[in-house]
Amino acid sequence: MTVKIKGLLLSLLLAVGFLLPARAIPSRPQPQRLVNDLAGLFTAAQAGHLERMLVAFDDSTSNQIAVVTVTDLEGYTPAEYAVRIGLDWGVGSADFNNGIVVLVKPKESGGSGQVSIQVGYGLEGAIPDVYAKRIIDSQMIPHFRSGDYYGGVQAACEILMAYASGEISQERDRSDDEMDDVVAFLILFFLVMLVFLYLSSKNKGGGNNHSGGGGGGRYIYIGPIGRGSVFTGGSSWGGGGGFGGGGFGGFGGGSFGGGGASGSW
Amino acid sequence: MKKGLVTILVLVLVALALFGWVKNAYNSLVKSDETVQAAWAQVENVYQRRADLIPNLVATVKGYAEHESSTLQAVIDARAKATQVTVDASDLTDEQIAKYQAAQGELSQALGRLIAVSEAYPDLKANENFKDLQAQLEGTENRITVERQKFNETAQAYNTEIRTFPTNIIAGLFNFDKKGYFKAAEGAEVAPKVEF
Repeated sequence: MTVKIKGLLLSLLLAVGFLLPARAIPSRPQPQRLVNDLAGLFTAAQAGHLERMLVAFDDSTSNQIAVVTVTDLEGYTPAEYAVRIGLDWGVGSADFNNGIVVLVKPKESGGSGQVSIQVGYGLEGAIPDVYAKRIIDSQMIPHFRSGDYYGGVQAACEILMAYASGEISQERDRSDDEMDDVVAFLILFFLVMLVFLYLSSKNKGGGNNHSGGGGGGRYIYIGPIGRGSVFTGGSSWGGGGGFGGGGFGGFGGGSFGGGGASGSW
Repeated sequence: MKKGLVTILVLVLVALALFGWVKNAYNSLVKSDETVQAAWAQVENVYQRRADLIPNLVATVKGYAEHESSTLQAVIDARAKATQVTVDASDLTDEQIAKYQAAQGELSQALGRLIAVSEAYPDLKANENFKDLQAQLEGTENRITVERQKFNETAQAYNTEIRTFPTNIIAGLFNFDKKGYFKAAEGAEVAPKVEF
C-alpha cells in the first residue's frame, strides 16, 4: 500500500518534472565563462587559473570543459543536472558535440557531496563512462574528502583534457573573425576619413570656418567610439592571456546524451 | 478579353500561392516527422546498449553469486522479452510506446533487483570488471533518461505543429498522426539505483 502511494507520488513528481523541464537550472553566464563557481569553492586565483587553463584548451583543441559548482541540485540527480546545464548552455561545438560538464555539489553537514562528469556525444568514444567513473573515484573524491575542491577539479580536468585531445584536436579557427574585424575597422576608418575629407573640402569652399570646423570635430569624435567597439570584439577572440575569463569565445551549442559518470561521498 | 486575362492571371497567382503554402507546410511536417523518428532511433539505441551490457553483467554476477540464480534468470527472461518488443518508427502511437515502455520497465526492475542482491557479495563488489559494468550500466540508464526526454520534447513539438491552424489541414489531408509520449509510469520507470 505505502509502496503504491510512494510510487504514485514519485510518478507525480516525475510528471511535474517533465512539465517544467527548466526547473531552476542556472542560466548561461554573462559574460560566458568556463569556470562557474556558484558554490564559492575556489579562491579567485584558483578560479582564474582553472579558467585560463580551460580557455587555452578550448583554443587549441576546440573541446570545451565547463566546471560548475552549486550548493543545491534542485531535486535532480547530479547527472541530470549536469546534462541540463550542458544542453541549456550548449557546451562544446555544434559540429563536434565535444563539450564536457564537470559538476560539483560540495558536502555539507548532514548531506552528501555529489559530483558528475557528463560527456558530449562527440567525446563518448574518447571518454567512456568507465574512464569518467575512474576519474571521479580515484582523483576527485579523495581530494574532495579532504576539502580540496580545487585540487580534485584541477586533476580531473587535466586527465579529461588528455583524453579529449586524443579524439578531437582542432585548433579554433578564429582568423576569419579577426579578418572580419579588421575589414570592418578599415571600412569604418575609410568612411570616417571620407566624411572628414568631404567636410574639410566643403569648408574650404564655403568659407564658413567656424561651424564647419565644429562639424568636422564631431565626426572625428565618432571615429574613436567606432574603433573602440571593434577592438573589444577583437580582444574577446584574442585568447592568450585573458584575465578572469576575458579570453573565452563562448559556448558553441554542443549536445549531450547522458554519457559519463557520477559519484558521491 | 482583357478582363479574362486578368482573371486567369489572378487564378494562376492564387494557385501558385496555394501550392507554395501546401508545399512549405507539408515539407515542414515531413522534417518534424523525421526529427521525431530520429529521436526514437536514439531511444532504441540506448535501450539496446543496455541490453548488450546484460549478458556480461549476468556472467560476472554468476561467478560470485550462484545462489541468486532466480534473480539472474529473471533478468535474462526480462531481457529476452524486452528485445522482442520493437516499435515501427513510422507508427509511434501511444499504445506502441506504452507497450515498449512496459517491457523495458520490467527489465529495469529485474536489473534493479540484481543490483540490490549483489550488495550482499563483497567479493563481487570489489571485482574490477563488475565495477566497470556498473559504471556502464549507470551511464546507460542516464542516457535512457536523456534520450526519452529528448524524444518527448521532439514529439511534443511535432504534435503541436500538426494541431496548429492552418497546418492541421495539411496534417489531416496527408495523415500525419499524433505521436505518443513516454510516461512517467508508476515505479517501473525509476531507474535502478546503482550507488556505492
